[in-house]
Amino acid sequence: MATTTLDAAPNLGALYAKATVTAWGRGGALPDDRVARTGVEVDRAHLAEYARVCRLPFGDVLPATYPHMLAFPLQMVLMSDRAFPLALPGLVHVRNRIEQLAPVPVAARLDLEVWAERFATHRSGATVDLCASVSTGGAEVWRSRSTYLARGASAPAGAEAADVDVHVGALDRAVATWRVPDDAGRRYAKVSGDVNPIHLSGLTAKAFGFKRAIAHGMWVKARALGAVANRLPEAFAYDVQFKKPLFLPSTVTLSTAQVDGGWDLAVRNAKSGSDHLLGTIRPQ
Amino acid sequence: MSDWYTNFVNSGVGTTISKQLGLPRPAVLRRYEPGEPLLPGPVVVGTAGGGRLRDTVTAVLRDAGVTVLSPVAADGSTDGEKLGAVVLDATGLSGPGDLAAAHDFLAPAIRRLRASGRVVVLADPPAQAETPAQAAARQAVDGLTRSIGKELLNGSTANAIYVPEGAEASLASPLTFFLSGRSAYVDGQGVTLAAADVPASGDPEKPLAGKVAVVTGAARGIGASIAQVVARDGAHVVAVDIPAAGDSLAKVANEIGGTALQLDITAPDAPQRLVEHLRERHGGVDIVVHNAGITRDKLLVNMDAARWNSVMAVNLQAQLDITQALLDDGDVLKPGARVVSVSSQSGIAGNRGQTNYAASKAGVIGMVRAWAPRFAERGATINAVAPGFIVTEMTAKMPFGRREIGSRINSLSQGGLPVDVAETIAWLAQPGSAGVNGQVVRVCGQSMLGA
Amino acid sequence: MATPTRKAAIVGGNRIPFARSNTAYAQASNQDMLTATLDGLVARFGLQGESVGEVVAGAVLKHARDFNLTRESVLGSQLSPTTPAYDIQQACGTGLEAAILVANKIALGQIEAGIAGGVDTTSDAPLAVGDDLRRTLISLNNAKTVADRLKALARIRPGQLVPEIPRNAEPRTGLAMGDHAAITAKEWQIGREEQDELAVLSHQNMAAAYDRGFFDDLVTPYLGLTRDNNLRPDSSVEKLATLKPVFGTGDPDATMTAANSTPLTDGASAVLLASDEWAEAKGLPVLAHLVDAQTAAVDYVHGGEGLLMAPVYAVPVMLARNGLTLQDFDFYEIHEAFASTVLATMKAWEDPAYCKGKLGLDAPLGSIDRSKLNVNGSSLAAGHPFAATGGRIVAQLAKQLHEAGPGKRGLISICAAGGQGVVAILES
Repeated sequence: MATTTLDAAPNLGALYAKATVTAWGRGGALPDDRVARTGVEVDRAHLAEYARVCRLPFGDVLPATYPHMLAFPLQMVLMSDRAFPLALPGLVHVRNRIEQLAPVPVAARLDLEVWAERFATHRSGATVDLCASVSTGGAEVWRSRSTYLARGASAPAGAEAADVDVHVGALDRAVATWRVPDDAGRRYAKVSGDVNPIHLSGLTAKAFGFKRAIAHGMWVKARALGAVANRLPEAFAYDVQFKKPLFLPSTVTLSTAQVDGGWDLAVRNAKSGSDHLLGTIRPQ
Repeated sequence: MSDWYTNFVNSGVGTTISKQLGLPRPAVLRRYEPGEPLLPGPVVVGTAGGGRLRDTVTAVLRDAGVTVLSPVAADGSTDGEKLGAVVLDATGLSGPGDLAAAHDFLAPAIRRLRASGRVVVLADPPAQAETPAQAAARQAVDGLTRSIGKELLNGSTANAIYVPEGAEASLASPLTFFLSGRSAYVDGQGVTLAAADVPASGDPEKPLAGKVAVVTGAARGIGASIAQVVARDGAHVVAVDIPAAGDSLAKVANEIGGTALQLDITAPDAPQRLVEHLRERHGGVDIVVHNAGITRDKLLVNMDAARWNSVMAVNLQAQLDITQALLDDGDVLKPGARVVSVSSQSGIAGNRGQTNYAASKAGVIGMVRAWAPRFAERGATINAVAPGFIVTEMTAKMPFGRREIGSRINSLSQGGLPVDVAETIAWLAQPGSAGVNGQVVRVCGQSMLGA
Repeated sequence: MATPTRKAAIVGGNRIPFARSNTAYAQASNQDMLTATLDGLVARFGLQGESVGEVVAGAVLKHARDFNLTRESVLGSQLSPTTPAYDIQQACGTGLEAAILVANKIALGQIEAGIAGGVDTTSDAPLAVGDDLRRTLISLNNAKTVADRLKALARIRPGQLVPEIPRNAEPRTGLAMGDHAAITAKEWQIGREEQDELAVLSHQNMAAAYDRGFFDDLVTPYLGLTRDNNLRPDSSVEKLATLKPVFGTGDPDATMTAANSTPLTDGASAVLLASDEWAEAKGLPVLAHLVDAQTAAVDYVHGGEGLLMAPVYAVPVMLARNGLTLQDFDFYEIHEAFASTVLATMKAWEDPAYCKGKLGLDAPLGSIDRSKLNVNGSSLAAGHPFAATGGRIVAQLAKQLHEAGPGKRGLISICAAGGQGVVAILES
């Protein structure tokens, strides 16, 4: 295992470009390389911008979805590398699990480490998990697991079966209606650096086979967190499955239910009722 | 509402033009301003007949700070400046022969009269004469005064006060009124006094201090002006008008520090509601001005019942009902109360297209006269004021020709202002006007209509 | 230290006729309307140049520049410029909450008299520029150099110039209040016909009240309007039955129409409260006393309770404190935000399971005599300028109680955005 420690956040645009031009001819097993940064300080202006776009409270503690902003670029370094077996264009984020082990103060200096694991078989291809761990003062405070699906790809022989489903109880009462505007993808791309073309415009999305631009799953997840932000335990796991793409613009509903000291959540299309996101929040 | 013609002929170039063309030149009338002297010049007092009022008159004038001069010499010379007013005491006439003295006194004196001067003739009431000759002489005073009114120029007026024996104490208030700027548009009128307990006069600038006054139809026009003048003279005004006029009513009430009462006076419970309001909020009422009135003009042959009934209801029946309710209540109408009803020149002279209105306004006069004795019993008075052509928002909408004729056919060659009506009403409302009861005072500039 | 308290007297009120949005008051601002309303109150009670203890009022939809709306209105009114004032906002509960605040200060002897009011305009509602443009303009304002300014200006895009129209929606749920009410109506199985009947009765009651002069000393005309222009005296259940639902329309059985819901409305109201001594010294009447008040809030976001159901919770608390039952009232004023809200409120009080489970009561509060409900019309007829409704109801009920004679009791129940409720007891 080799760990590359970066001095600064990498440029995501350049990584996308690199990943795109080197998309062909990938294969093989997952490398066990890790990418890390140490002593990272949160930029409060960026945090404020993020909180505004995701409608999360802005304060002295990081929203549970925020460390992903720091970890994701490092994961991109892994995924754009030629050694990564799956082509980045076409990877679909199907599940994301975040564990907040303790509230993370904005002022904390954070050590980040990311890696890939669990190359698994899926009925329509293969999945891989991009993991992240955040510590401060030597104690782990936050970790995440993002499961990506590569359609048509195949996992190495003998790989385990993919685990992409999140189960929620009956959620028949919508508590909020969101009108998601057509620039929601561009706004989140600007703050997150996730400039995947499928989120940016109808035209660029079409180039990748989507009829319209689609919202970032992690934006939907963050916004749903905002709806229950003041009613969360100190330590919890926030696990969501991304279902049907949320095409922009759309009107969607959020349904919530209090379960086991946490929440079950669903974001659904207001018209068709089809699921965009199913999630659970459970104390840990 | 400005009188463009009066303004024009009194402007520099207008004066020249109108003089050369021989046009009538209506004067700018002297109107009352608090703090101004009663008269702009001295008064000369003369007598014809016995003249029993001379001392009373002199005392009233001296109290008012007016200089009293001896009669003017036959050649018109005086020992002083031009006259503010001429007062003739013609009480004690025994026959027409005594009137020669009136002529001898008045002719040179009137020649010396200033602009907006005043001629006031005092006489005994003709109706109480002992002989036909005495009655003839007393009645002659009426013709004399009215004719002087028509001859006077420059905004001067002539009025008569009939003072029965024993009513001398009632004279101060009417005499002061006819001399002052308050009576600017009252011309050619006669008022008959009665004996009464006249209270000692208070602050001449606030004759209504401490009084509570109700003014109906107070939201605009003459009613608003009445409310303003009555408030200026010291009364707390309860300004009443229909609920739909409530916003203007509130403005009037706020301007004068009064209170607004939105009330349709024709509602069946209106008298009761008004009485309750006055008792609950003010412990009673001293002054009631029945001003609210409407017109619904149409030739009689074309008039529908609605027009007839609504005018009668507002202009006459409501006055009757409210006054009756006040009298019935016992103590809400305070001792020494004053009720003043607004009548109209139309009620005296009649007017084409106004059978309903004229009938209602004539009815008001009948009502006032009938109630006067009952009011006298409680030391109160009830009188009517009949405005002539008063320049208001309403007259501004009249066709130009009708408006111009209406405003010129009077001795002052101009329309009156709402304030002229208001001043007359405020005068009748004064405690000192106790001896003026059951009278109809026209505020018409001595209109030719119904004269 | 225990301070002896006294009950605040309601001397009277004033309001301007309420106007449907973008009609008679389209050009009037909140300050214009509140000032006119204060002036009408001043004229009614002869308060010219008077300094009352304080004036408390507010608006739900308020321009940022109107931060001192009430004080500015006082300065523009006939009241003494030395009259203190402050703004409050509790959505549709603003007007009643203002009256409670003034009454409490009177009760504690801190002031002798005060004015409570409220105003709202949906015609002259504050428009916000979009967040992006707002930020750009702020940085433009903060820019020190020409180059910085140009840089800031260069960030403006045409799309940002479209203003954000305020929506009558709950921020946390994104649902219009009517859609919330529609959910509650469905939960409580409130039928279309009973809603329409309630609406028609409101119009008929209010029209009759106007005709008998009831509002003569409660309303002062404004800008040519002499009655509420939403009032339809000829309203009938048959006519209302023809209307299409406007809320909860996702449901084929939707029941809430433009007629059994209040329209967006402009208007203002004010109430004069005082100690008995002050009123007597001024020769002013005491119509009623504000005996007690209570507020409550419900979790309509995640808690499964209806947005407008908070008064249902507030009333039993207040009743218990005063040793009263729901039937101990001569009049009930239940704010008609929506006909279904009034009906759901009453149904909840009658429901044993709900009263036990949600309100923690051994027995249901029971039903109320419908002939005592909103007897002179309510918001469905008059319209509902959010913050002005409380003042309308307080003055109206106080007069009703006064007319009915001494010792009569009335209940006010007002629901408010944000899942809140404000209720009060008045006694003559």
